[in-house]
Amino acid sequence: MPKTLLRYALLVATAAIVQRALFSALRIDGAVPDALLVLAVASGIAGGAERGATVGFFSGLALDLMTATPFGLGAVAYLAAGALAGALDTALVRSARWLTMAVAALSAVVGVVAFGLIGTLLGQAQMLGGHLVAVSATVAVTTAVLVLPTVRACRWAEHDADRLRAAVR
Amino acid sequence: MALTTRRSGRTRFTILLLVLTAVTLLTLDGRGFGPIDSARSGVLKVLSPVGDAASAVFEPVSNAWNGAFRQGDLEAENDRLREENERLQGDVTAGQVAQQQLQQLLQNEGITFTGDNPRVHARVVAGSVGNFGTTLDLDKGSSSKVAKGMAVVTGEGLIGKVIQVSDDRCTVELVTSGNYQVGFTAVGTAAVGVAQGTGSPTVLRGFNIDSSQKVEANQIVVTGGTRKSSFPPDLPIGTIATVRTNEAARETTVDIRLFARTTDLTYADIVLWQPAG
Repeated sequence: MPKTLLRYALLVATAAIVQRALFSALRIDGAVPDALLVLAVASGIAGGAERGATVGFFSGLALDLMTATPFGLGAVAYLAAGALAGALDTALVRSARWLTMAVAALSAVVGVVAFGLIGTLLGQAQMLGGHLVAVSATVAVTTAVLVLPTVRACRWAEHDADRLRAAVR
Repeated sequence: MALTTRRSGRTRFTILLLVLTAVTLLTLDGRGFGPIDSARSGVLKVLSPVGDAASAVFEPVSNAWNGAFRQGDLEAENDRLREENERLQGDVTAGQVAQQQLQQLLQNEGITFTGDNPRVHARVVAGSVGNFGTTLDLDKGSSSKVAKGMAVVTGEGLIGKVIQVSDDRCTVELVTSGNYQVGFTAVGTAAVGVAQGTGSPTVLRGFNIDSSQKVEANQIVVTGGTRKSSFPPDLPIGTIATVRTNEAARETTVDIRLFARTTDLTYADIVLWQPAG
């Protein structure tokens, strides 16, 4: 378990650096891909709703530390996205790459909209509007593209946990 | 079956616990909990060198991306700039006259840009990290006497204030963000009000102006510098674009068009001024 924790911590740190150094420069209509949200969603797909929520919480916190938005806003929004991705993926009867990508895109949009809505409730009125649509579209497409390799990285982090789960069964 | 039920119960409990933790953090931040600021400053300090190194590595990728996705925009912008350049060459003289008139107007009102306050010239090294932030990072920090709360300007006017500082970095929250308010005065009148961002990169909303004070479109608006204001007085903000008066509420609200650009910035100046006390 500590190894899983350490590996996920490494993934969160890597996603934070990639977000700051690379993705923040890749703007389309003012919106950027979100590496931390992709990680939250991918961890949910790889490890289930609980894992998605936990990794989403810490990914969101990492984003909160790097931005000036209310502290905890990213944590609660990404937690929701990670948990939703885990729940949807678990509920799927059949497995296919396009389904995983669709689940990821949908969960990412839910995360972005939750971010915008809760932010608006907290007095950040500028978060709603046309920008939210542009962000949702950009994040949905980029998350769908990036989720499969990120799920692989999460499975690497889950390695020990998988063995533990097999032992429990 | 029992294991599945126990597992989903644990999942619900974990998610609930995480949500409660996040809500607690939001509440603490809303109340200005100090350690959160310290943590953000710490992250700024740690991530700056790592981020800069990684940015240098990823620079070809971001250049290629911008080339691919903005090529059409760039071509159109190039044509527009060429045309504008020709027009501007003819307008230079008129512009100089207008600038002199603005300076004259500000001087007539006893206003000098940033007054006697020293400024630190800084380079913009990073934009906003996420999708909803309206911040930028400058390459000057506490080692250059920059402190939290200081006003940040360009040659045209106010653009924001410093919200995080490390040794050689600071983070500036743009005035357009809507996260804080700026007290202002309409030049040539006794009208004072409060301006706040709307999310638009060019317009602020001004409110709390007594309706008995006459304000008009095209009037210049500067920081008020009232007691407890975090901005020095007389920093140019913009001009009044539209005026709306609500006689019932005895309040006038205005739209203020910013003098300064808040997007695609390369350099900015930090005004080394802090409120007394």
